Parts: sequence; C-alpha cells; structure tokens
Amino acid sequence: MNLDLLPQLLLAGVVIGSIYALAALGFVLIYKSSRVINFAHGQVIATGAFIAFALTQSGMNFWLAGLLAMLATFALGMLIERVFLRRMVGEPIISVIMVTIGLASVVDGLLHLTPYGAGNFSFTTPAALSGAGIDLLGTQLSRVQLAGVLAALALLGGFTYFFNRSTMGITMRAVADDQMAAMSVGTSVERVFALAWAFAGLTAAAAGVILGLMSGLTLTGLAGIGLKVFPVVILGGLDSVLGAIVGGILIGVLENLAAGYLDGLVPGGGTRDVFPFIVLLIVLLLRPYGLFGTKEIERV
Amino acid sequence: MPASRFTQTGNYRVRYTQDQTIFATYAEQLSLLLLIAALFALPLILPRAWFPYLTQIVIFSVAVIGLNVTTGYTGLINIGQGAFMGVGAYATALAATRLNLPFYLAIPLGGVAGALIGTLVGLPSLRLKYLYLAIATLAFQIIFEWGVGHAPLLEQGGVIKPPTPQAFGVKDSFLNHNVFWYLVSLPVLISLALLWRNVLRTRHGRAMIAVRDNDRAAAAMGIHPGRAKLTAFLIGSFYAGVAGGLFMYFQKGAVIEDYSLGLSVKLLAMAIVGGLGSLPGSFLGPLFIVGLDRGVELLSQSALLGRVTAFAEGVDVASALRPFSFGMAIVLFLMFEPRGLANWWRLTRLYFKRWPFKF
Amino acid sequence: MKRAAALSALLTLSLAAAQKTATIGWSGAITGPTSDAGASYAAGVEDYCRYAVSQNTLPGIKLNCVVRDDQYNNANTQRNFEDYVGNMNASAFLGYSTGGTLQLKSTIQEVKVPTLPGSYHIGNVDGADSQYIFLPISSYSEQLVSLVEYVAKKDRGAKIALVVNPSPFGRAPVDDVRKAAQRLGVQIVDVQEVGGNNLDNTALLKRFESAGVKYVLNQNTAGPVANILKDAKRLNLLGKMQFMGAHYTGGEDLTRLAGDAANNFIWATSYYMFDEADKPGIQLVKKIGAANNRKPDTIRSVHYTSGMLAASIAIEAIRRSKDPSAAGVYKGITSMTGSRAFNPGFTVGPVTFSAKDHIGAESLRLLQADSTGNFKAITGAQRSAIFPLVHPLK
Repeated sequence: MNLDLLPQLLLAGVVIGSIYALAALGFVLIYKSSRVINFAHGQVIATGAFIAFALTQSGMNFWLAGLLAMLATFALGMLIERVFLRRMVGEPIISVIMVTIGLASVVDGLLHLTPYGAGNFSFTTPAALSGAGIDLLGTQLSRVQLAGVLAALALLGGFTYFFNRSTMGITMRAVADDQMAAMSVGTSVERVFALAWAFAGLTAAAAGVILGLMSGLTLTGLAGIGLKVFPVVILGGLDSVLGAIVGGILIGVLENLAAGYLDGLVPGGGTRDVFPFIVLLIVLLLRPYGLFGTKEIERV
Repeated sequence: MPASRFTQTGNYRVRYTQDQTIFATYAEQLSLLLLIAALFALPLILPRAWFPYLTQIVIFSVAVIGLNVTTGYTGLINIGQGAFMGVGAYATALAATRLNLPFYLAIPLGGVAGALIGTLVGLPSLRLKYLYLAIATLAFQIIFEWGVGHAPLLEQGGVIKPPTPQAFGVKDSFLNHNVFWYLVSLPVLISLALLWRNVLRTRHGRAMIAVRDNDRAAAAMGIHPGRAKLTAFLIGSFYAGVAGGLFMYFQKGAVIEDYSLGLSVKLLAMAIVGGLGSLPGSFLGPLFIVGLDRGVELLSQSALLGRVTAFAEGVDVASALRPFSFGMAIVLFLMFEPRGLANWWRLTRLYFKRWPFKF
Repeated sequence: MKRAAALSALLTLSLAAAQKTATIGWSGAITGPTSDAGASYAAGVEDYCRYAVSQNTLPGIKLNCVVRDDQYNNANTQRNFEDYVGNMNASAFLGYSTGGTLQLKSTIQEVKVPTLPGSYHIGNVDGADSQYIFLPISSYSEQLVSLVEYVAKKDRGAKIALVVNPSPFGRAPVDDVRKAAQRLGVQIVDVQEVGGNNLDNTALLKRFESAGVKYVLNQNTAGPVANILKDAKRLNLLGKMQFMGAHYTGGEDLTRLAGDAANNFIWATSYYMFDEADKPGIQLVKKIGAANNRKPDTIRSVHYTSGMLAASIAIEAIRRSKDPSAAGVYKGITSMTGSRAFNPGFTVGPVTFSAKDHIGAESLRLLQADSTGNFKAITGAQRSAIFPLVHPLK
C-alpha cells in the first residue's frame, strides 16, 4: 500500500463526492416530502445539462445559461409532479416507482429528439475557470473542480438553512413528518410536493452543469449519475439532507480509495464502479435507514 | 356442483376444494386446449418473419411469470430479474460448453442456478421491505454486470457460444432458428405456467398472497412470512433462470449486454402492463411490449418517418420513439389502467361468458 | 394461398430478369453507447451508396442500401441481420459492434454472407467460423502492437500501462499487447478497465505515476480517453506520460472533447486525415459529404470515412463479379489481391483480400496531435513487423 497517495485520493474523493451529494440532494428532497423514489433523477440531471449546453451553443454566456437551465428544470420538476405524480398519491409503492422508471424512458426519448441524444459534447470552459488551478496536499485541483465543489457546498448549505429556518422549509419538514397532521393545520401538501420536485429539478441542473463542465456531456453518462445516487442516499439516509452531504462525500472518498488501493489487486480494476453498491448492500443489511435517516424499518 | 359443467350459470361452489379448482367448466378447459393447439400450429400459418418476435414473447413470458411470483403475488419489488435471467443464461452456456450437456439438460440447470442465486439475493427480504428491497435487487443487478465483466471464466462478458443444438433430428440453423426456439420455448412456457397455477392453490401460494396483502396479519395466522418470501424468490428466479437459458440459445450465445438493467426494467414494464399478480397478464404484457417495440420499428422504417426533416441532422426519430413509447406505455397504464391488460382480458371474458344474456 | 405464392414467385422472376437487386445492410449504433462514432459511420455508408448509384457504378444492378440503428444492442443486431439476410436476401452485411459481430460469427459462416464489421477486433477473423468476415483495416491488436514497437524503439525497457474499455471491444488486444511487450523488452506494468462515465481519474493516473509509467496505451472510445487526458493535464502529468491509442480513441472527436489536453496524443490508424486535402480519397469524402449536406463535424470525422470504406469494398466486390449475390460478393472481395488490389483512396495502403487474407488495408500510420489539435503523421505507411509472430492467424 502506498500511503503517499492517500491525501490525494481523499481530496479527489471529496471533490467528486460533493457533486454526488448535490445530485443526491434532489433525490432526498423528493423522498423526504412525498416518499417517492425518483428513478428519473438522472434524466433530469441530463436535461438540465443539455439545456445549458444548447444555450451556450447559441452564444449565451455560460453563467446565464446555467442559471436559465436551473430555472427550466425547476419548471420541469413542477410539471412532472403535477401531471404524473399527483395522480399517484396513495397508489402502491411499486406503481410509484414504475411511473418514475417510465418517465426516465420518456425523457430519454425526448432527449433523443434533440441533437444531444447521441454523442459526446463538451462545454467551452468559461474564461474565469480556465486559468491554472491550485496545488493542495500534493495534488492539483482545477478551477472547474474548485468552482464545482464551492457551488455544490453553497447549494447544500443553502438548502440546509432553508429547511431549518424558513417558513416554507419548516412546512416541508412538517409534511414529511406527518402528512395528515400537517394538512389538519392548514398546510397545502400539494404545494409542498410541487416545490420539492421543483427544487429537485433545480439542484439536478446544477449538478448536471458542473458534471458536464468537469467531464463532458453524454446522455448515458449524465443519466447514469441517477444510479450513483442510490448508494449515497442509502448510506446517508433516504430522508436526510445532512445524510446526502455526508453520504455523497463518503461514497466519493470510498470510490477513490477503491480505485487507488483495490484496482491493483483486481485484474482489470474498475472497482470504483461496483464498490459503492457493495457498501449499499452492507448498509442495507446492517442499518437500512442509513447514518442520518429516520428509523422506520419494521421487521417481520 | 354447478348445474351444468359446460356453461357457467352461476356460482354453485359450496366447498373450499371446489373453490380451488382451476377450471369452472369444460368449456374453459376446452378453449384452453384449443388455444394451446393453435399456438403450436402457428408456424404452419404465420410467415417466418414473425417468429423472432413470437419467440421473444414466449421467452419473456416465462421470466415475467417468475417476476409476478415475487413482485405480483408476494409483493417483493424486484429490479434484478434481468440479472437472474443472466445467471441462468451463463449457467446454461457453461453447462453446454464445459459439460457438453444438450440444451434440454443445460436449460433446467440454468433454472436451478437462477434459483440458487435468486434465493441468496432474496435473503435480505427477511429484513427489508418495499423500497429497500427494491434497491437491494438493483444493487445485485449492478454487481452482477460488473462481476461477469471481471470473470475470465465467463469470457468477461464477451460471447460464450454453445454448440449448435439439435432436437428430434432437426438442427438449429439460420432458416429455422426462430421457429425452432419457438417450438422449444412454448411447451416450457405452458408447463411452467401450469406449474405456477397449481402452486398457487397450495398453501405455499396462498401464503405468498397473504404476505403481500398484509405480512403481519399473515404471521398472526401462523404463516411464516420469511419462508413465504424466500419461496417466492426461489420460484421466481428459477423461472428467470430457465428464461435466461432459453434466451441465451435464442441469442446464439451469452453476452452480458443482453442481461443489463434495461432488461430488468423491461420485464417489470411487461409485468405492470400485463397486470401485476395475474397469469394471463404475464402473457399479455410481453405481447404488448414486444409488439409495441416492433410497431415503432416498422413505423420508423416506413417511408412516412423517413421523410420527416423537421429535425436536425444526428436526430433519429425512430430511436427517440422507442424509449418514448415504452415509457409512455408504462406511465399511461399505471395512471389509467393500473390492473393492466389482464383487466381488459377479464372484462372481455365476462362479456362473452354472459353473452347473449347481458343486462 | 398456393396461387398467390406462385404469382409472387412469377413477379419476382420477371423483376429479376429486368434488373438484379443488390441489397447491402448495415446495423450499428446510431444512438446509444458509442453512437458518436456510429452515427458518422452510418452516414458514410449511406452517402457512399448514394454516390455509387449516382455514378452508376453497378450498371444493370439496382443498389439498395439499408441502414438501421441497433442502439449497440446485440439482440437488435441479430434481428436486423435476420431481416437483411432472411427476408431481403442481402448480398453483404456491414456490421458495427464487436459483441454483435462475435455473436453472429457462426450464423455468418452458415449463411455465407460476406460481412465487413466496423469493429476491428482480431477475433472476428481469427479461428473457426471466420471465412466470410473481412476487416476493412488492420486490427486493434496490430494498431496497439505498432504503438508498442514505437515505444520499444524509442525507450527500451519503458514502463507501459494499458487502459481498455470494459467490453469485448476493449479487452480484445490485451493478450497480444502483453506478448508483444515481452518480445520487445518493454514492460506492461498495469492493465486497467475504464469505461464511459469516468468522472475522475485522479486515482488511476496517480497510481500510474507512482508505478513509474511513462506510456499509457488506450483501447477505448474518444470520450473516456478525453476525460483521462483532461485529468492528466490538471495533474501536470502530460509532460511525464505519453498517451497513445488505437483507431477509435483518436481523431476529431478526441480533439473536440479534450481540447488542448489532446495535444501530443499519438494515434494509430489506417485512414488518411481530413486535412490531407491533396489525397484523392479525402477529396472524394469532401465531395460526397457536401453533396449530401452533412454537417462539417460529420464530414471531418474519421468514422465518416470508415463507413465509406466499408460500403465501397462491398460495392466494388459486386462491380467486379457482376453478380449481386452473396457468393458474388465473396468472389469479388477475395479477388482484391496482388495487382488487383482495391484502392479507393481512403486509407494509406490499398485494400487487399484473398481467401486467406481477411484484413484489408493492413498498412497504418502513427499520427501525433500538434498544438492545434490536428493529427500529423509521424511515421510513413507501415506494417507491424512483430505482429504476425505475436498473433499468427490460422
């Protein structure tokens, strides 16, 4: 084992992990308020990223394009909730899961109607981010990565604050806690659901744009992040924003440690792709509600 | 006993044993036999070009019955049925190449392998419910794909080709391949469907349904929910394994891409569209999804779509229509007909049963 | 029923007397994984067919090219193949993916339909059931072995790492590269599989660095390689390690995705580059691309040229034998030997096939990306000297 690598692996893990956390945040927002597991989250991430890319292609400033993409997926999230998910309230879990799986396919199809359904694309790095990066702990971070981490942490911090302090955030928590009780004191559960999906859309676009800037845009790659969030949210706890942050960073770090120390031992390597899911299974067996989730498992 | 054994004129069942019978009347029995005979006669009637799709429908039906056992009848959400099919496919391929077993021995072996691994994966169901179990099966799907990709024994996911099969002196060849496997798969499907229909009326079958409807109540009635869940996984993944073995031969080799998450999702979609927890639904779902896929394919090859130039270059309308229509089918069925095609089937049958005396 | 069959048989006969039809079917990934290459490849096949029709290359024969998307899904490839061969009586099959071609091998052998895959996997033409499969250019294995030879000449004893796609396509050349390295006195210190979605390659590159790797060979598609290059640039490793790769790693796509991180990347391929405007093949590509209103990105892509090469070989085979049946195509293809070699001008060497030789344009060049991202040849057209020893074809 080469311990010199350790700080570098940890740092790279934190960088990628904070993006996972941002991707997982939207997932958790939806689950927390409406108890829906959203299999279409990866497709929303991809949609956001490609909207931003299309706008920059038409000559728009990168930052403005990113902002508009976030607004667009904000609306998309609301739309999905209103048209599809609201009808599913009270249906069995398998139906709700399958609706989101179906939606993932539908969005996939719609993206294939754009020129971005197939192929690799990459953002032109904006001037402010294209300069030299910084050296930290013997490894180099590019400005893109730094900006990505900062943006992710800012959004995560903002949402934590929102949930703990703002009236709307507290309302959302109330609904998550007990829908019936929240309704009886006059809360609009519908509005909470709609907002949760909208915020999930917004954070998804942010995650998509950051990912696109860091590693290029492909539909399969971006949509694949929708699967990577499962280990994150299970480890962190399905209904905990703090869990998404900690889980994301932990999975990012574990992934990198696997790549750094296990790849050499396994012929062909590539352990980073499977390690998070092994962690997922272990967590499910030992502590299904995750590190910070609400304990609600019943056994039979 | 009913007044007539030929047409149903009312419900005359007075004992539980009568309620457990599969067929209420001779007419039902006869129509099923006729249907089976017609299915076997299809190769004489339909053009050869239909059989790639018919064979797929038959093979997927086997897997969908299995998925219905776990998800439809027992309520355990399984997003790994495609991987169980993969286990069966690889086991069959190994049995055919390493042990030189003929296909009629290799495929059941694939089923056994599927059942073993499936039961193992089902173990967490003793502790986990609903969502968490769904995610556990999803994790298995991903670990399976990765594992095959790293196993030199399995050609790392590359192709393992079985020797050309042969039955009753007929060799599987390019021209008869699809019909050959249609005729092999059809009796497998029929016997496995009958098997499940019979398991359903034993105490094991009833235990599964009880666990699905309310596992605590089931436990209070003296049912062991854990055992019922594991039995469901055992049976469900056995069916998947057999389907995988058939599909491997049908595909002329085991390749990992055939057993990806996409297949699991497709099987779930078939089960949902057909109607969860319904045996006729297990045939109607695959029929609908395979038919839909073929329909979209034909539409995209027709001159009509070829001339659509409203889209930019690099946009293939056909490729967009496939996932779009597939997703829409799932969503629309769940929103407007959650009981699936099986419900339409039931209504149609009801109509004819009372015909011409409807009121 | 019987009368209808007789009638249709009569119709076909009378039509056949008037004009023979040659159907060439392509099935590949216009969408789905690797579609960035597949879409341009399909465009190349389609456009070359149109060109051949407009030039009346096959007098008296109606040329019918069918291009279908299989989404990189082998099941779809098989259905398409069955439809082409079983229902449309295709004279030649133009394939695409490695997995799809491997799965079809025994069927191709059975129906005897000449097949030109887009995958240059040596296994396609090696061993049993490969009598009717022809690689348009040299195999991935030969491309990578040529790169190993280049390294060995420059830097004896050098440490090399191999990064491959986690698929049959990626793994195909691993064994041959290992054997070649052993013969040439260089070390393969690590073989790692990296697929799409490689968001962060810090761990991979840092491990290579600490193992003293100086050359990184890639067998992959452009996307993952671009991400590795971008991370190498960030980690200041581009000066310390030389990155190189086989046919599908390089070209326009790589430059577009990796930007200046692609500079100095060494690439092995048999095709001429788009900016070699004096080459007749490239002039033809430009002409056909313009005639079909293709996007500049598509025309510049080497995969557009590759698609044209595959189509041109099949069409030339029919032209030579004047027989649009599968047997005619086989006869035509295997006649492309010695003085009768076929040279459409897309590749640095002529396309040669015979009953024994199933690799078309064997000659390849190594090219290096300059500071503007254009690939410039650093060697002449050559063949790997050691490859036939490393992997003798049966």
